[in-house]
Amino acid sequence: MLPTKLDAIKEIPAPIIKSVISCVENTFASISGEKPAYIEDCGSDVPMNGMIGNIAVFNSDHTLSLMIAIPKDTVVALSEVFCGMELPYESDDMGDLVGEISNILAGDVAASIETIGFVGQSSLPTATRGSDLTLFLPNKPPTARLKFQGPAGEFWVNLALSESRRHR
Amino acid sequence: MSKIKALVVDDSKIMRSAVKRTLDQLMLADFDYTEALDGKDALDKFNDDVQIIFLDWNMPNMTGVEFSQAIRKKGNTEHIPIIMITAEKSMGKVDTALNEGGANAYITKPFTADSVFKVLSRFIDKDGNMITENDESEKKSFFKDMLKLK
Repeated sequence: MLPTKLDAIKEIPAPIIKSVISCVENTFASISGEKPAYIEDCGSDVPMNGMIGNIAVFNSDHTLSLMIAIPKDTVVALSEVFCGMELPYESDDMGDLVGEISNILAGDVAASIETIGFVGQSSLPTATRGSDLTLFLPNKPPTARLKFQGPAGEFWVNLALSESRRHR
Repeated sequence: MSKIKALVVDDSKIMRSAVKRTLDQLMLADFDYTEALDGKDALDKFNDDVQIIFLDWNMPNMTGVEFSQAIRKKGNTEHIPIIMITAEKSMGKVDTALNEGGANAYITKPFTADSVFKVLSRFIDKDGNMITENDESEKKSFFKDMLKLK
């Protein structure tokens, strides 16, 4: 589906974006019981206070990076739904939770994009907590920024599609 | 009814807690839990007392499937059910876990109490005891007899 070299691609192909939107809806619906709404106009890229879960679905040719940006209020509300109790925002458990949510989403995305020709595996997740967070992607890969509004609050999923390291 | 020795393997503390909480809420059996942070840690903690294993796939140091293969390679472990609880959802992954990894069952995250119950009831009887291989064969021969009668 994708050329090995991504030079000619300026945007992430629509079928991948469509798959990711559907996976985000399904993943968060299975966590909170209600599908988050995809907001088409996600607004400007303002710095965020909250947490970012990073994970990638990759194969030897391509890497699809998923960065789930969850504001503080949303992630605290999500913790109550996922764990049955509100986790302290500053705790290690909160990082663990965001990593696990990223892991579940990546598993769903990997299975979904496999059906459109991107066969890959998930990396291990990482989680970052901070304030005035702005995502910066070196080498200007094709990216997409998707906004969702769920019962726990708003959150974003940022995508970047790049060549896997062996091609650089 | 004695406690069932369960090994819960996941690099996420949140998920280990969720697995234990779900098993306790189901009240299908009493469990005595040992937790492991990854496959390597699980291999260190594995011993002859372990009766059932709940296993994540994607972990540092040693994956769940690598751990499962190592356990099956030890020999005399076929009677221990290995239940994968993982975010990996593709059919290829399920096939790898069950056929190459030697796992007995597969549950995808996020799981529900119902999905865990359905799987567990294959391995634990209504009295909260592990179903042994003999019980399984008895069940199979019972069904065979039933078919013959028909």
